[in-house]
Amino acid sequence: MGIIEEVIDDIVVEIINLERATLKEADQLKSMINDKIEIGYKKIIIDLSTVEFIDSTFLGVIVSTLKKVASLRGDLKLVGFQPAVRSMFELTRLFRVFESYNDLQDAVRSFTN
Amino acid sequence: MAADNTKPPNKILLVEDEFNIAKLFTYNLSKVGFECQHANNGREALAMAHKNKPDIIISDVMMPEMDGFEFRKKLLEDNELKSIPFVFLTAKGAEDDILQGFDLEIEDYIIKTSSPKVVIAKVSAILKSLEKERVKIVDEVQKAADTMGAKVVPDDAPIFNGFKIKQWHLPFKNVPGGDFIDYIKIDDDNLVIILGDVMGKRWGAWYFAIAYAGYVRSATRFVLESGKKDKPSEILHKVNEAVFNDERISEVFITLSVLLLDRKNNVVKYSGAGDLPIVYKSKEAQLVHSTGLLLGFNKSGLYEDLEIMINSGDEIYIVTDGITEARNKEGELYGHNRLIEFVNSILPDEDPIEKMKNEILSFSGGELEDDVSFIAIKVL
Repeated sequence: MGIIEEVIDDIVVEIINLERATLKEADQLKSMINDKIEIGYKKIIIDLSTVEFIDSTFLGVIVSTLKKVASLRGDLKLVGFQPAVRSMFELTRLFRVFESYNDLQDAVRSFTN
Repeated sequence: MAADNTKPPNKILLVEDEFNIAKLFTYNLSKVGFECQHANNGREALAMAHKNKPDIIISDVMMPEMDGFEFRKKLLEDNELKSIPFVFLTAKGAEDDILQGFDLEIEDYIIKTSSPKVVIAKVSAILKSLEKERVKIVDEVQKAADTMGAKVVPDDAPIFNGFKIKQWHLPFKNVPGGDFIDYIKIDDDNLVIILGDVMGKRWGAWYFAIAYAGYVRSATRFVLESGKKDKPSEILHKVNEAVFNDERISEVFITLSVLLLDRKNNVVKYSGAGDLPIVYKSKEAQLVHSTGLLLGFNKSGLYEDLEIMINSGDEIYIVTDGITEARNKEGELYGHNRLIEFVNSILPDEDPIEKMKNEILSFSGGELEDDVSFIAIKVL
């Protein structure tokens, strides 16, 4: 359990291997991503396939990361939504601002194309 | 402490591999009202601590798989668990264990052969002193907030002709949090109601909630003075613009619901930024969804006004996620379906606030995980 980070070419993939993504993990994700942005990465994928619940703090980190990489002309894409997470994105209308994919390969491909 | 019936019982995590000792401790602690959970070793205990967030951990030192010292070290590395008070169970005369324990920032130690009375007294004393400390800190924070004149939630909803407005706000663990409420009376016929939720919890969010409440107030005044009195979406546009351009809060995001009650024209105008849907009940309760994005995220937040034509007896309810994301013992979320069912069950002469308090506290067993805000509006 936890957050697993992989780098594929110039893309950083954060796999959120948790059932509940909340305050504590939000801090961890933020510092992991910030470390990567500092050394020049700006293409990010966050894989939420195993996440059953996401709280507003964790969502805040995803949103602020998108804002940050977008200002660097990068992007943040999301993979895999379970129903509760999907409804959280729908409720907050964030569905409209994130590109999302059903599997990781598709998300990676979207960056390389 | 444990007998205090206004609060849920204190949860103790007992980590002990010897069955008889575990049984004896569990029996004695449960008897005086503690909720006692038992793990056989550090590894098991770590998973249980994550899941159940105990109020105190009592752990043996010598155990298979993961011993007490390693377990304690793991806890100290974990921001979420490191501040849970920790007590070692040691054999009589195990001086080295005790000293090593204090190096690992433990609260105290208990000799395994101590009488149940001594064990209970020690555990109660530790919890009591920590509670005192917490009350003191919360008190300081609240004093600081009062001195700054910064109240994020008014004491009461205003009296406004033609409507009955009531509110309930419960900060997370009684520490000022990220929700804020504001009522701005434009004139005798128009009232603006604002409910905001700063993403994040606890004290950091509280500071931002104060800052945001200030932003919203000044933007509202600006919009009203510029003559666009009938458009909640203009308030959102204005706040969004200010927030988006402010570097200092570029990583803070907020949801906001703005409602304008217009008594003369029997209409409620509603605009929202990433907020939860409001509930409108005429005969049947239904959700009303706004369209705007979270404040501060995008330069143009796509805010629009929705109009609800109101009649006498209609009701409107506004909530933050502290309600819809409350969880029961099985881990299920309260959610919008239950909220709709709840609103449908409110009888005309019932107090919706008291009913909601009972509803959500009994659903969650009193263990809420976020600020709770609930505003009830009834058209007279």
